[in-house]
Amino acid sequence: MEILAGLLNGFAVALEPANLFWCFVGVLLGTVVGILPGLGPPATIAMLLPLTFNMNPAGAIIMLAGIYYGAKYGGSTTSILMNVPGESASVVTCLDGYQMARKGRAGPALGIAAIASFVAGTVGVLGLMLVAPPIAKFALSFSSPEYFALMSLGLALVVLLAGRSIVKALLAALVGLWIASVGTDLFSGTSRFTFGQMELLSGIDFVVVAIGVFALAEVFVNLEVREETQLLPVPKGLKNLLPTMQDLKDCRFAFVNGSVIGFLVGALPGGGSTIASFLSYGLEKAVSPRREQFGTGVIEGVAAPEGANNSETGGALVPLLTLGIPGSGTTAILLAALVLWGFKPGPLFIPEHPALFWGLVASMYIGNVMLLILNLPLVPLFAQVLRMPVYVLYPLILGVSMVGVYSVSGSLFDLLLLMVFGLLGYLMRKLDYPSAPLILGLALGAGMERALRQSLMMSEGKLSILVSRPISAVMLSFAVLVLLIPMFGKLNAWRLRALEQG
Amino acid sequence: MEDETRKSGDLWSGVALAALGLYIVFQARQWEYLGPEGPGAGFFPIWYGIAMLALSMLLIVSQLRRRYARGNAIDWTRLGRAFSTWFALAVSVALFKPLGFVVSFALLTYFIVAVMYRRPLATAALVAVASAAGFYLVFDLALSVPLPVGVLGF
Amino acid sequence: MKSRLSLIALFASLCAPLAFAQGFKPSRTVDLVVHTGPGGGSDVLARAIAVMVEKEKLLPVRLQVINKPGGNAAVAAAHLAEKRGDPNTLGLFTGVWLQTPLVSSEAKITLRDLTPIARLVLEPAVIAVKADSRYKTLAEFIEAAKKNPGQLKQSGGSNTSRDNVVRQLLQKSTGARWAFISFPGGGERIAALLGGHVDIMVIEPEEAGEHIRAGNMRVLAQVSEKRLAKFPEVPTLKEAGFDVPVVPQVRGVVAPPGIPKENVEFWQDFFRRLTRTPSWQKYIEDNQFEDGYQNAADLANFYDEFTDRMREILKDAGVKTVR
Repeated sequence: MEILAGLLNGFAVALEPANLFWCFVGVLLGTVVGILPGLGPPATIAMLLPLTFNMNPAGAIIMLAGIYYGAKYGGSTTSILMNVPGESASVVTCLDGYQMARKGRAGPALGIAAIASFVAGTVGVLGLMLVAPPIAKFALSFSSPEYFALMSLGLALVVLLAGRSIVKALLAALVGLWIASVGTDLFSGTSRFTFGQMELLSGIDFVVVAIGVFALAEVFVNLEVREETQLLPVPKGLKNLLPTMQDLKDCRFAFVNGSVIGFLVGALPGGGSTIASFLSYGLEKAVSPRREQFGTGVIEGVAAPEGANNSETGGALVPLLTLGIPGSGTTAILLAALVLWGFKPGPLFIPEHPALFWGLVASMYIGNVMLLILNLPLVPLFAQVLRMPVYVLYPLILGVSMVGVYSVSGSLFDLLLLMVFGLLGYLMRKLDYPSAPLILGLALGAGMERALRQSLMMSEGKLSILVSRPISAVMLSFAVLVLLIPMFGKLNAWRLRALEQG
Repeated sequence: MEDETRKSGDLWSGVALAALGLYIVFQARQWEYLGPEGPGAGFFPIWYGIAMLALSMLLIVSQLRRRYARGNAIDWTRLGRAFSTWFALAVSVALFKPLGFVVSFALLTYFIVAVMYRRPLATAALVAVASAAGFYLVFDLALSVPLPVGVLGF
Repeated sequence: MKSRLSLIALFASLCAPLAFAQGFKPSRTVDLVVHTGPGGGSDVLARAIAVMVEKEKLLPVRLQVINKPGGNAAVAAAHLAEKRGDPNTLGLFTGVWLQTPLVSSEAKITLRDLTPIARLVLEPAVIAVKADSRYKTLAEFIEAAKKNPGQLKQSGGSNTSRDNVVRQLLQKSTGARWAFISFPGGGERIAALLGGHVDIMVIEPEEAGEHIRAGNMRVLAQVSEKRLAKFPEVPTLKEAGFDVPVVPQVRGVVAPPGIPKENVEFWQDFFRRLTRTPSWQKYIEDNQFEDGYQNAADLANFYDEFTDRMREILKDAGVKTVR
């Protein structure tokens, strides 16, 4: 089989000492970059590009790719330990990951994040290797109506994130949609909700809102009382610092879920790791036997999104390497890098540069193994962070949040926004509004509106386009079903009460 | 009274969100709803604005009809502490331009440790200086990620 | 005696401008401000320039790239305006810098408020369809669009982007009408075309290169004054029978306001020398740009022409202009 032959050649390339070295450098750098909030792979890769001119192209792309998927491993660290999302893909990990840390299970959370990342990352590479061309073709048939349906499905998951009050969850999601509309409308050039501020013309950065609403709000809530003792218990003993066998069993479905959804969503040109992680989390919650506990520290709620954002890298490389179409920010830079070195990704890339492609694929397997070996021993080390006295930890979280936001855009205005959203997040906590729906609305809002308007432009105003195409019709029906789930629950309860009374 | 405070929390947030919904709808009406080339800038906002208005009305009405309490009274001490922290953070951000990140952050940390947590001043100073120095070392020097720089040059 | 005096005077007057030109040298690292984040179009060009400057030793100091994203270039422009009088800061502008102030009242700094230095490149474009499309020439597409107004579709960027400008100009001159669907990313636009969801798009020649080579895309016409080297058989818009002005996509350099004339001249000459270096020529060729060098004065005129024309085009497109 030519795939096998290609892969063997790829390993021959990837196992060359120089390339192994660059792989290690890449994944190490990626992990560090991922741990630090704000600074992300796109910026790091852009900064390293000039240095790669004198390297051999295989080593260079192996290193840069290592940074890309390595960062996804590190991103969960601050999410779990501090409720500070390292980058937009790690936001969902905060939901259950941080709660696990509060219960003293930071170690298992970090550990399962690493393991899920490894499993899903490897599956992603497998997908890239085995099914890239047909997936790429499938992805091309996905257009605006299908995106709208996919995002509606994602938004319908709000219902599952609701907690006690569905009305409040929906309101939070609507506020998220509103925040997503701030800026210049792509289609008409109209400025919406910019309050005369030019910095708002390009919209409000998702990470700024997420860090404000999650991390800052958490600090404010915790500073309400002056605890004499540590709030975050860290049990001793190695047993408690890594996931148990029971944990691994609980996450069986999450591993599959994260791998598949991440890869598929990543392969869509407009998809991204944020959507992938939300969808994976939502699906996991929908099928889990303990779905009511999601949001309080359920381990599969960490495994699913963490897996999704890792297999997403494999998926995102599919359109890049088979069609030359970059998806997200990082793949766009990888494209620029490849072009700079004289390789032009496109349909002819794999046939013309098999050594480079297979070398990269093989290096991704190796890289994932390296990352697992790197990250697992670090888990107990990181868990010790929580043994810091709270009066050291909370200022640290504030500092990390500010640096994270500032390092993305270098703008003091963004820090101002951070303050505003920190206050908003605090008020939401006090008034019992769940923050996950707001973040979900923000993540999906812009994309949903764009997809809807694009669809209507394609169909010349006919809404029927959303249901006349099979894929979008199916997904929209799922969305409707999801919205009706709580209805079933209430109907059942009502019926039981009627039976009792009658 | 217990009733009133809980009611007022949800009530006021409902009112605020209703006001926001109204604002959104008014703004959205100034933009194109449905143009020759497709839905305009006002299309989506009008709909979620209306939804916001409707849901917040629901919230307000359900609060007005409620006769029993559902939560705790407002603890002003706790709120006060949280807002003081927020205010301190705001002040430190405002100080970034003149004083730079390192100094402002040290001041913020000092405030939190000494005032909010009532630790001895020496401890506060130590934590403040150590954390600020840590940030400077890790970000400015090791990673050359620029932090806001004030008139003092760092 | 008189002749010797006049000889000295002549000599002195010849030396003076030389002395002036050598009067200014950058005293510290030069900042080149771009409006995109790392990896964006301007960022990539700026970094390439920085590398060229090192390689060809064009400056005694380093050139570093400063990213000031946000506000559709308004933040970068405002940053430059704040650096009034600073001779060591420059900005790399593109069409967005010129257009955003026209349509957004929040963006207060126009290129006229800054100091134009030089125009560097013009970016041509090509009009492409999917390889199995039934339109073999642009004329066929226009005919079909006339017969079915509003039913054919083009994918492109925002409604003020060059993609839409080309469409507006063609629509106005031919009377045909077709829909324009905005996608925020280049990848999505290409995916929409290759997936058969839209019929046509305007695309940079480099971006299209590989798709054409693989046989997935076909080029109907090129948006440039003369035929590009890599597309010798494709007619330009004019040659294809469409007499529309070629509104180019530009990139150039500006400086903060209030810098003295000698600084302007220094930078102007510096960039002229840059465009003559072999690394620059190679870069232009590789990316299929056109050398569009203009000095500061010509750039200022170009700016006025460009914005006047954009205002007209936007008005025809139904977009409100605020300046």
